[in-house]
Amino acid sequence: MAKPAPVYILGGAQTDFARNWSKEGKHFVAMMREAVLGALEAQRIEPKEIQTAHVGNFAAELYAKQGHVGAFFVEIDPAFSGLPTSRHEAACASGSIAILAASAEIEAGRYDLACVTGVEQMKTVDSTTGGDYLGTAAWYEREAKGIEFPFPKLFGRLGDEYDKRFGLKDEHLAHISAVNYSNAKRNPNAQTRNWFMSESHAQQQSKFNTVIGGRIKVSDCSQVTDGGVALFLASEKFASQWAKRNNQSLNDIPRILGWGHHTAPLEFDAKVAESKDNPYVLPHTRQAILDAFRRAGVAGVEQLSGIETHDCFTTSEYMAIDHFGLSKPGESWKAVEGGVIELGGKCPINPSGGLIGAGHPVGATGVRQMLDCWRQIAHQAGEYQVEDAKTFAMLNIGGSGTTSCVFVVGK
Amino acid sequence: MADKIQKVVILGANGTMGAGAGEVFAGAGFRVAMLAREHDKAEAGLKAAQSAARAEAVAERMEIGTYDHDLARTVAEADLIFESLAEELALKRHYLELVDRYRRDDAIVATGSSGLSIAEMARGRSDSFRKHFLGIHFFNPPNVIVGTEVIPGTETGPAIVKSTVGMLGARLGRKVIVTKDRPAFVGNRVGFKVLNEVAQLASERGVAYMDYLIGPHTGRAMAPLATVDLVGWDVHRAIVDNVHQNCEDEAHACFELPAFMERGIREGRLGDKTPEQGGFYKRQGGQTLALDPRTGSHGPLKKPAPIEFVEKMKSLNRVGKYAEAMAALREAKGADAELCRHVVLGYVSYGLSRVGEVAQIPRDVDTIMSFGFNWAPPTALVDLLGARVTIKMLSDLKLSVPTCLEQAASEGARMFTGGVLDYGRTLVG
Repeated sequence: MAKPAPVYILGGAQTDFARNWSKEGKHFVAMMREAVLGALEAQRIEPKEIQTAHVGNFAAELYAKQGHVGAFFVEIDPAFSGLPTSRHEAACASGSIAILAASAEIEAGRYDLACVTGVEQMKTVDSTTGGDYLGTAAWYEREAKGIEFPFPKLFGRLGDEYDKRFGLKDEHLAHISAVNYSNAKRNPNAQTRNWFMSESHAQQQSKFNTVIGGRIKVSDCSQVTDGGVALFLASEKFASQWAKRNNQSLNDIPRILGWGHHTAPLEFDAKVAESKDNPYVLPHTRQAILDAFRRAGVAGVEQLSGIETHDCFTTSEYMAIDHFGLSKPGESWKAVEGGVIELGGKCPINPSGGLIGAGHPVGATGVRQMLDCWRQIAHQAGEYQVEDAKTFAMLNIGGSGTTSCVFVVGK
Repeated sequence: MADKIQKVVILGANGTMGAGAGEVFAGAGFRVAMLAREHDKAEAGLKAAQSAARAEAVAERMEIGTYDHDLARTVAEADLIFESLAEELALKRHYLELVDRYRRDDAIVATGSSGLSIAEMARGRSDSFRKHFLGIHFFNPPNVIVGTEVIPGTETGPAIVKSTVGMLGARLGRKVIVTKDRPAFVGNRVGFKVLNEVAQLASERGVAYMDYLIGPHTGRAMAPLATVDLVGWDVHRAIVDNVHQNCEDEAHACFELPAFMERGIREGRLGDKTPEQGGFYKRQGGQTLALDPRTGSHGPLKKPAPIEFVEKMKSLNRVGKYAEAMAALREAKGADAELCRHVVLGYVSYGLSRVGEVAQIPRDVDTIMSFGFNWAPPTALVDLLGARVTIKMLSDLKLSVPTCLEQAASEGARMFTGGVLDYGRTLVG
């Protein structure tokens, strides 16, 4: 295949993930408006310049009893009337699927400027109902129906599988949690930036840190989050014009260098059965990472300045560490103990705070991860900037390791 | 200097603000000594800090003690002494004298007072103390509300102020403004002007009506009279009396405590903290009652009849059309709209007129109203309406036009320094 046309990232904006939009009496379209109008203003792009819009959203039908989410993009600004829009869904990887669709359109030369938006309003319901809705990201009838908080239990079993194959100490999971919370304190949009967390709290099972399911305690979990994110993907033609009018060189604009995308069987048992003789617990996730590296021309994880990964639970970050190649399979704990994943470490993971610290508005998460990769490469990450960041990768997962999307971002 | 601070002593660790401040400092990694008159009280403060942190582990960075046994030792070791005693000048002066005696020469001393004079507290203390003394005013609850005022005294070293502001921002995640040592500082001066004005208006017009008319759609997380109940009527009175007695400004009359509140306080009606007596509202058997200010008794809360422009503003805010919502306020006809404009534009006028007097720049007023009160920043409201339109509205309402607003209008510049992502949360649907 011929080398595809480059896809540039022109930055974007996100809402403060600490906000509770139900308490504010808001519909999710307000979240989309603020994110998109905020992004347009921040990046000095006119509404009429956008040619196509893609919205990532998991379950507005459940949380807000509203489908046809892509069409709400048109409601943001009068200039958007008539714009081609669509909505994309792959559970927690919905945002990445929206990015894949938008970037494919840019590569194909159909459009020069796409707006990718991710949006999820989750605080419309209590946590038990929300947990049940999230269960539809698994095979609901078989894995979630009638089970309280099915997802912590599924990702607890990911930890159990590591324990069975290689051994796993909960203290390493506690350290992962503490690092994410600590990073989030540097992120002005992180949901938990003013919350208390310490490694010893994350290790203790206590009144305030109860077990949610299996080996997963409250401190191992990402958050229930309301959030909207918008970013712009552009062809070389638009990116050159945009760079010129902002007195930048095209070479300084971050690009999507490569992507990987694979889908595993839905049920967690089926995944584990499939991988029983594989060195990797989630081989399709591993393959998505390898594909993205290959397409980006990245030889391996040593070439990354950092990673934004999908830490819906500490176990999923533990998995990402060896799947990215920061350790041999099953030896993620070595990278955890060696300080590799911390800010200032060899390959910082989630300088933003990740899903545990920054928050996890499900359908917006992939877009937020890419925005944070852009911030790192454009050196716009403020207090959580990784020094001299050149190449970043992101891993966004839907379901119990079902849909895996990986992007490599660099210049 | 504040960037070197490792050890903090809290005096009055059993109070709401003392326990909350202890949690904030310990959460940021400082060692904290929680002191109170008695051991049990200090322990209660520590437990309150654990509840605020939702973590027992916050206590790993804390010790508890009493003034008699532990003040001399802990103060001598401390880099920062934070005084959060009851709001009584004599009491504060007594303990600050002890602090002066035992503190290291380079230790910073801060008072958490929400309005008492910094100069009065520093008077008679040593040269070194006065140079290292300032106010750090947190808002309640400090682990959630990040707006913070720093109030230097006349003799506080500029480097002490600068490093304290830096420490509060970088290590405690605070949104900090530096204010002058004037009664109630910036946040409470501007905020309680509006709250008391609404309470005054409620005397004749009713509680439910006023909270509906000046409700969250006008740029606040919570309706005004519900806010006063949360704050406590006694605290409300202390703040408005302080300003009323010590400030002469264009809104002097707005700080006069309404007679029905004076009577209520005498009868022990202090708001949410006195559930039996209630406040503007009272919860009874799952029902919410509202106060009739004329009779002083509570009756079933009757939802006010919907007002067209209020409902329009709410539905526009709900979908994020904030400029359109403010335009609806501007265009609405009738006495309800006129009253709503009087209070909301009165807030903009009074808030921005404090620039130069107690606040340094418009952004300071924005920061503290937005992060201390969860109210719309005044300059964001100006931008949504347009500076020239705002001036016209203020003139029509016979409200004073702040100098900084006139300047912005003449330059055609926007006043708010952020964007919709910064103020959107304050405009409620």
